[in-house]
Amino acid sequence: MRPATLFRLAVAGNRTDHLRTALTAASSALALVVLLAAATVIAIKNGESGENAHYASPLLAEPGLRPGVIAALVLLAVPILALAGQSIRLGAPARDRRLAAIRLAGATPGQAVLIAGAETVAAGVIGSVVGLGGFLLLRVVLERRNAGGELLLPTDVLPSVLWIVILMAFVPVMAGLVGALLLRQVVISPLGVVRRTRKRGPWPWPGFLIVVGLVIFQLPAQIKGIDVGTNRWAVLVGGGVALTTIGVVLGTGWIAHTTGRLLLRFGPRPAMLLAGRRLMADPWSGSRTLAALLASVVIGAIALGYRIGLVTQFEAWNRYNAQTREEQLGAGAPEGFYTGAVDLIMVAVGIGVTVAAAGVLISLAEGIVARRRTYAALTAAGVPGRTLSESVLWQTMLPLAPALLLAVTSGIGLIRLTGTRVGAPSNTLTVPVPVGSLALLAGGAFLIMLIATGIGLVVLRSSTDLEELRAS
Amino acid sequence: MSTSHVLLGLLAGGPRHGYELKRSHDDRLPQAKPLAFGQVYATLGRLERDGLVEQSGQDRDGGPDRTSYVITEAGRARLGEWLTEVEPPAPYVTSALFAKVVVSLLASGERVATEYLVAQRAAHTTRLRELTAVKTDSAATVGDVIAADYAIAHLDADLRWLQTTLLRLADLNEEMNP
Amino acid sequence: MNTLLQGTALHRAYGPTPALRGVDIEVTEGEIVAVTGPSGCGKSTLLHCLAGIMRVDSGSVRYRDQDIGLWSESARSKLRRTEFGVLFQFGQLVPELTAGENVALPLLLGGVKRREAQKTAEEWLDRFGVAELAGKLPGAMSGGQQQRCAVARAMVTEPRALFADEPTGALDVLTGEQVLGEIVRVAREKGMAVVLVTHEAQIAAYADREISLRDGALDPTGLGLRTRA
Repeated sequence: MRPATLFRLAVAGNRTDHLRTALTAASSALALVVLLAAATVIAIKNGESGENAHYASPLLAEPGLRPGVIAALVLLAVPILALAGQSIRLGAPARDRRLAAIRLAGATPGQAVLIAGAETVAAGVIGSVVGLGGFLLLRVVLERRNAGGELLLPTDVLPSVLWIVILMAFVPVMAGLVGALLLRQVVISPLGVVRRTRKRGPWPWPGFLIVVGLVIFQLPAQIKGIDVGTNRWAVLVGGGVALTTIGVVLGTGWIAHTTGRLLLRFGPRPAMLLAGRRLMADPWSGSRTLAALLASVVIGAIALGYRIGLVTQFEAWNRYNAQTREEQLGAGAPEGFYTGAVDLIMVAVGIGVTVAAAGVLISLAEGIVARRRTYAALTAAGVPGRTLSESVLWQTMLPLAPALLLAVTSGIGLIRLTGTRVGAPSNTLTVPVPVGSLALLAGGAFLIMLIATGIGLVVLRSSTDLEELRAS
Repeated sequence: MSTSHVLLGLLAGGPRHGYELKRSHDDRLPQAKPLAFGQVYATLGRLERDGLVEQSGQDRDGGPDRTSYVITEAGRARLGEWLTEVEPPAPYVTSALFAKVVVSLLASGERVATEYLVAQRAAHTTRLRELTAVKTDSAATVGDVIAADYAIAHLDADLRWLQTTLLRLADLNEEMNP
Repeated sequence: MNTLLQGTALHRAYGPTPALRGVDIEVTEGEIVAVTGPSGCGKSTLLHCLAGIMRVDSGSVRYRDQDIGLWSESARSKLRRTEFGVLFQFGQLVPELTAGENVALPLLLGGVKRREAQKTAEEWLDRFGVAELAGKLPGAMSGGQQQRCAVARAMVTEPRALFADEPTGALDVLTGEQVLGEIVRVAREKGMAVVLVTHEAQIAAYADREISLRDGALDPTGLGLRTRA
């Protein structure tokens, strides 16, 4: 296939296709802006004294804190990139028919995936260009100084051209890869697009991953000689978080399947029967679509656990300092500085959850649209729209509750297992469980998902259109 | 269709007398015209003369004199020949319906032709419904169903042809009198 | 016989394209009516309007002397799942539900207990000779088996009227004939009226009478002749 042909086939389409392209481009642009911001922070040079004094925020000024900012920005880019890739499944029926027609005309399965992927890459390139423009514009617009003449944001440095070029290429390629990965679930046959589902029910083995993750995370604290900041420390802590997160995400498959089975056995309403069967038929759809959301929640729970540890530590120091006139204990900066850093991560988590919910909305809408014929037939047969909406609601929200609980518990467990006693001489305190903020995290994620599902139900309403019943 | 070949076929299952042959014929080929007794005996006589069947016995329990016939080797050979011989396709092209429709369209005005066609279609669909009823009757044998299917398929073909012809003519009319 | 359904001067358009242009139709109790005509003649639209799936633009559809066009969507939805049964060419079974659950669905929606609904569903599957499929998913069945399950689901509530839109269109001739024969047999047994939409004369012959449509209007000739303005 010549590139020109590929391009022509990739950009062919109707209004929904353009909407998909726009969404892919917009999320790609956003991802690029975030990544360029991270690159900008990397580009900050240290001054003579080791820190860069002309920034208002110590997060930017202190070299020791900048990696945290960079990590937060990169983490934030992940769900946004996932969203860009997920857009490939938006408004799919018309595109599916087109891809099937292309297959019928003699394209190989690989070529069909390439065409679909090329569409995402093309949109990603547009997004990259827009994102670069937006980033350069933001640098100018956001150039502010405080009263002391310090810059609020690092608008005086720019990543190197090489970095910019690499990131501009990275965003569309990643979006395309995520998209191609998601298309693995569907078979583009000449006679239409079929979604592949697995037969075997999932086992709760991901629980084991969570346990391993928890153990690995504890190692630096238990073994002498692994100091904070060393590579070994980073690998163990990072690996522990990663394994736990993967465990939570994969565990959702089992949770969905079990929820489905319970719904089927004990659910008295027809909507529960529909939801239960669907959960059992494709239990992995939950872990696919909820991955970014659950990962954000795990990170959020870890951050909240860390934050309350800090707060308690300062509390202990304050008490000690109040009792003694001797050597004052404390950290290098005031408490607000450290909690502020964690709060910044929580903002990133919040954005991550929202972006992930948008991704969930897309896959939810796609799932509904893929079943539109059945929905239309059921409506014609007198199944009330209420029942269908209710079944989608059960199917999405019911497994989400235990999955969120697992995510929050795993995240907080990770931190708490390293120790819950902090303090100063003669003044040890127990770190409390931040029940309120954890509930806010999980509840917020649940609420956002509820809103996303609500929007998805609007799609359902229009999918019961009887046009779908006309013989094709 | 040749009655002698059908009788040979019925005798292939074992010896039978004339009355049995008639009944068996009418049962197996219910949509065909029923055989007259005279025709059965005349045909059997011809078959016997040609050495394709022979008399196998007399049976006179309580009834009139009945002669059983059995198929001969030559008869089996003839039957085999007939069964393997391909029938010329499309014998219905010469049917009365075809001729009448064509003549009607040529000779009568459009209104008369249409009236005739509507009546003809009604007759066809009525017959189609009767045959379908025969077929869906719980007492129907496989023979009944196969025979009904054969007639249904032909009536259906006639109907389709009628419809297509009319559409063609309508197009033709529009072309000529725009 | 009493009139079950009566459509009067039915009009319905899709955007600027008219699909029905003043159709009158009457269906009496227990009667099997075939609606025939070429593609695009409006026969499916007529079925959708009569079954209360679709609203008419003008004219009235009366079921047992009640104008169902005046009813709310939820009232018509209830009517469809209790008094009516609908059957399409294909794709009406929920792929994730077993055959038994699919058939039981209308009963469950009507508030019947799960166990009881399942039992009735199995009886109906048995009536169409597919009792052994109760635990199977639609994906694991042949087209004929799926359509038999769909028929069982459409009939499980013992509706007064069955609306079938090319019910055998996706099946081979023999299977289609068997399925149709079973529909007619059970409909007669239970005194159900059937509105059978088809473009084939052989299928229409299963009905007691036939009405033909052409360009959204009744075609009394049945010959698909263009109506002269």
